[in-house]
Amino acid sequence: MDVNRRTLLAAAAALAFATPAFAAPALGQFAPAFVARDAEGHVRSLSDYAGKVVVLEWTNSGCPYVGKHYGSGHMQALQKAAVKDGVVWLTVASSAPGMEGYFTSASARAWKAKVGSHASAILLDGEGRVGRLYGAKATPHMFVIARDGRLAYMGGIDDRPYSDPESLKGAKTYVADALADLKAGRTVAVAVSQPYGCSVKYGSAD
Amino acid sequence: MIRFLAGLILALAVSGQALAQPVNTGHLTAELVSETQAFAPGQTVHIALRQQIQKGWHTYWRNPGDSGEPTRLKWTLPAGWSVSEFTWPTPHRLPVGPLVNYGYTGEVLLPMTLTVPASARAGQSVTLTAGASFLVCADICVPEDGTLTLTLPVAAAPGAPDAKWAGPIAASLAAAPKPSDLTAVFEKRPGGLALAVTGAALKGADMAEAYFYPYQSTVIDHARPQIVERGPQGLTLTLTPGYDFQGATPPTTLTGVLSVGGKAYEIAAAPGAPPAGAAGLGPPPARVAGGGGSGDLGLVSAAFFALVGGLILNLMPCVFPILAMKAASLAGHGGGAHAEARRQGLAFGAGVLATFLALAGLLIALKAAGSAIGWGFQLQSPPVVAVLALLILAVALNLSGLFEMGTSLQGVGSGLATKGGLAGAFFTGALAVVVAAPCTAPFMGPALGWALTQTPIAALVVFAALGIGFAAPFVLVAFAPALLDRLPNPGPWMDVFRKALAFPMYAAAAWLVWVLTVQAGSDALIRVLGAAIVVALAAWLAGAAQRASALGRRPLALVASAAVLAAGAIFAAVGPGYALAGTEGAAATASKAEVPYEPYSPARLAELRAEGRPVFVNYTAAWCVSCQVNDRLAISTKGVAEAMKAGNAVYLKADWTRKDADIAAELARFGRAGVPLYLVYGADGSDGVILPSILTEGIVVKALNKAAAKG
Repeated sequence: MDVNRRTLLAAAAALAFATPAFAAPALGQFAPAFVARDAEGHVRSLSDYAGKVVVLEWTNSGCPYVGKHYGSGHMQALQKAAVKDGVVWLTVASSAPGMEGYFTSASARAWKAKVGSHASAILLDGEGRVGRLYGAKATPHMFVIARDGRLAYMGGIDDRPYSDPESLKGAKTYVADALADLKAGRTVAVAVSQPYGCSVKYGSAD
Repeated sequence: MIRFLAGLILALAVSGQALAQPVNTGHLTAELVSETQAFAPGQTVHIALRQQIQKGWHTYWRNPGDSGEPTRLKWTLPAGWSVSEFTWPTPHRLPVGPLVNYGYTGEVLLPMTLTVPASARAGQSVTLTAGASFLVCADICVPEDGTLTLTLPVAAAPGAPDAKWAGPIAASLAAAPKPSDLTAVFEKRPGGLALAVTGAALKGADMAEAYFYPYQSTVIDHARPQIVERGPQGLTLTLTPGYDFQGATPPTTLTGVLSVGGKAYEIAAAPGAPPAGAAGLGPPPARVAGGGGSGDLGLVSAAFFALVGGLILNLMPCVFPILAMKAASLAGHGGGAHAEARRQGLAFGAGVLATFLALAGLLIALKAAGSAIGWGFQLQSPPVVAVLALLILAVALNLSGLFEMGTSLQGVGSGLATKGGLAGAFFTGALAVVVAAPCTAPFMGPALGWALTQTPIAALVVFAALGIGFAAPFVLVAFAPALLDRLPNPGPWMDVFRKALAFPMYAAAAWLVWVLTVQAGSDALIRVLGAAIVVALAAWLAGAAQRASALGRRPLALVASAAVLAAGAIFAAVGPGYALAGTEGAAATASKAEVPYEPYSPARLAELRAEGRPVFVNYTAAWCVSCQVNDRLAISTKGVAEAMKAGNAVYLKADWTRKDADIAAELARFGRAGVPLYLVYGADGSDGVILPSILTEGIVVKALNKAAAKG
């Protein structure tokens, strides 16, 4: 049984990899399965976290919008609180080699230490597979997956699509609200918002 | 000192030099400019933020698209002064990898309206200060800031226009999207989000580059192509719905800018069913017809193509039986009858030319009257096909010897070279043209496609060239005694040859009956077969009458009954309208075909392109022999089936066997007047690529692979 399920998941992941189109996932549907290597060299699969709330955060260490959230300590605080609640927080770097924000495992580890990230793992997605699978457009672009594996939130981290750190004051942090709603067993009030930030630095499509 | 400085500033300002220091923020230079040299109390004045953006970098529109941030100004104004939001110029699409942003490159002016308070004191100068923040991006993004100032005198009377900026600001305002009286509705369909816009301003507009820039960034997927369909009163854009349509409360309004035909309109769409006038005329004509297109053929090259196409048409299967008949007739003039051969050759050529020109004239007239038709149109009508089938049958029966052409029997025994042969030759030429329509020779497609978009005179010239090319071989042979003499001498063999030639004609009649059943269903079958039997009976009676009169009798009864029967048969074939065959039949064939296909519709094509799937479109017709040959040899093959599967491609069949305005419009868009036409659309939503009209499996497979790789 277990073997079967694994095979199925692997097949699903393989299918996902084979899809060349830039498809957007749908709210309320099962979040697309993926497998990716993290900065520590472990292979992470979405299926490893079945039954848990998962946050996907697209990042680019050179992007000023990412800088706004890390420079202010805002992102780290959000991660810390979420992980404490049992949420799995995966930071995904989809910048292609040679592009701004490209991570090798060493540079990802160094950045994680430097900014003091509380993310559960940093996924190295230099080929842009996971990014294209989720239709990730911007950094930071956020996705929240509910315990049942369905997509519960996608969009911006908050309602302030500006790079100016001043804009954080009084911002409505959609991701924090979505996590609170899920924790309390409520429907996520704002399930979709405008993702904002720098474009994800995908390599040229081949 | 201060007074002195103020005076200096005033002097500078009045001399037409507003004191605005351009600020270089790193990747752009920004400044504030005014359309006037001074401000008057109570006046409203247009000012603008000017950006000169470094090459390769861009800034953003109010909706930046998939990423980015709009340019912002934060004003510090004296009490009572106020400045409006930007009047955003229509943006450009800026693709970044798989994403699309909306913004500006190079130099751009963002105009605003400044309101000067009535309390402003003339004689002083005012300094307006704004903190500007830009997000400037190339493949990376840099937020840049600067403090911009604009200092101008306040004068009692409105200031003179600024020599440098009044013009550009006015131009920017004139080109900016305007509120419009266009009516817009949107409807979410399975294939996408239809945005239908109608109104007087859109009538006759060039819709080739129509595009909707939404104000909200989550209502559509910016990176997907927007598929345009024209209508008599406006247009319909098929968009890919954005995130907002997934939420619990889908948008109740769609606002933004419609850019069309070099103009831009602000529109606000409400949910609702698109009006009929917003669609139905197919996609806009391609600006420059893609590979192999014919948009830019001149009259000389079009006529030359038509001439060559006409020559090659002689080698196409449609006209074989008739040309063979003609060849036999020419052979009858071996030996001494050269003069007669020349006359017949000319009569044949005249028949060909007259019929081509008559068909072309009819085609042009019908098109001018608004019919969406093209080459081969005569075969789209079931009565015409039925009559043609009966006519071919009559010719076949004639070849079989059941009756003779002409009213007298003088020709009997001398083969086809009767004395009434001139009329016969003319008729043969006409018949050859009518049955040639199902075949398209190389070069013909682009030439005729070009012709039908030109003035009637130019079109007739091209058709005449086609006719000359088609008739040339026979006319030339007739005028070459050396060639005529090489033909075998007349003799009993000719009667055998003639009877043998009847069989390809019977086959042609059978094929036309099949075309008719495709068009009009199986009910038409018994009707046309019944009519065929009556024609055969009439032919037999006519033959009997001819034999009787050869014996010196006057077989009036026989002639009369033959005529009545023939007329009855024709009437039965033309008579009360044919039912149009249902599409169920087509669907049934679809499921058992080797390469599965779907029926074509513009909406389905738009949907598939929006989904990012490669699409192969086959514009075909049952009466088009070239199409059928391509279908069997190059499309319905295992290799093509595999290439389709591998590329996740979809095969759409556009069947033009019957009239269809959508298909005619699409053919015209690619510079064609008729079928076949083969198009392959790439997985990236790019425009269709035209394949040659004589296909091989290799060409199709290669094109499919290329289309899939574009994704």
